[in-house]
Amino acid sequence: MNALCSTILMLAQETAGHGAAAADGHVASPLQPVLFFILELGAILAIVGMMLCLYRMVKGPHLADRVLSGDTLAYQVVGLVILLTVRMESTTYLDGALVVAIIGFASTLAFAQYIGNLKRQTNP
Amino acid sequence: MIWATIGDIFSIFFALAGMFFMFVGAIGVVRLPDAYNRLHATSKCSTLGIMGLALAAVFHVGTLAVTTKAIMTVVFAFVASPVGSHMLAKAAHIDGMKPWDRQLSDELQQDKDRQSGKSPSNAPRGLNAPTQAKGAKPAGPDPTARMSAAV
Repeated sequence: MNALCSTILMLAQETAGHGAAAADGHVASPLQPVLFFILELGAILAIVGMMLCLYRMVKGPHLADRVLSGDTLAYQVVGLVILLTVRMESTTYLDGALVVAIIGFASTLAFAQYIGNLKRQTNP
Repeated sequence: MIWATIGDIFSIFFALAGMFFMFVGAIGVVRLPDAYNRLHATSKCSTLGIMGLALAAVFHVGTLAVTTKAIMTVVFAFVASPVGSHMLAKAAHIDGMKPWDRQLSDELQQDKDRQSGKSPSNAPRGLNAPTQAKGAKPAGPDPTARMSAAV
C-alpha cells in the first residue's frame, strides 16, 4: 500500500515536472533576455497607448470618438495579454485575450446601434 | 538550441512589428483630426498589431494550444475590426457628425441627397470643386448617379 502511494506520488510528480518542462518549452536560447527586455518595452508602450486612448476618450468631441477609443483600448489590452503570454510561456492567458476582443467588438456594435438611433429618437 | 534561437529571432522581429503598429494606432487615435480618420488608425492597430504579437507568441512558445488560440484571436480580429469600424462610421454619419473642415467630398451624403430628390447640398470643395462646377447642370451623365440608381 505504501509502495503504491509512493509510486502514485512519484508519477504525479513526474507528470507535473513534465508539464512544467513543457511549459518552459525548449532549452532557453541565448536570445531570451533580449526578447524579455523587448517584451517589457512593449508593455510600457501598450500602457502609454492606453493612456493616449483614455485621453481621446475624455476629450473626444463626438460620441463616436469615445466609442472608437474604447475599441482601441480593448485591442491594446489584447496586445498586453499576448505579451504576458509570451513572457510567461503559458497557454491560459490567450483565452483572456480572445474574451476581451469579443467583448470589445460587441460593445462597439452596441454603441454603433445606439449612435445610429440617437437622432431618430430625439427628433423623429 | 538552434531552433530555439531561430524561433526567438522571429519572435523578436514580430514582437517589435506588433508593438510598433499598436503604438502607431494609439498615436493616430489621438492625433488625427476626424472620427473617420481615427477609425483608419484603429484598424491598423487591431489587425497588424494583434497579428504581429500573436505571431511572436507562436514563434516563442510554439505549442499547439498557443498556436490554435492565436490563430483564433487573429482571425476574429481580422473579421471583427472592419465590421465594427464600418458600423461606427455609418452611425456617426447618420448622427450627423461634423466632418473635418478640409474634407474633400462626402459621397455618402451626396448619394443620400440624390436619393431623397434634392440637389447635393454639400458641393465638394478642394480638388473636386472644378469638375463638380463643370458638370453642375442637372441630369448630366454622372457615374455616381448611375451607381446609386442601380442600387
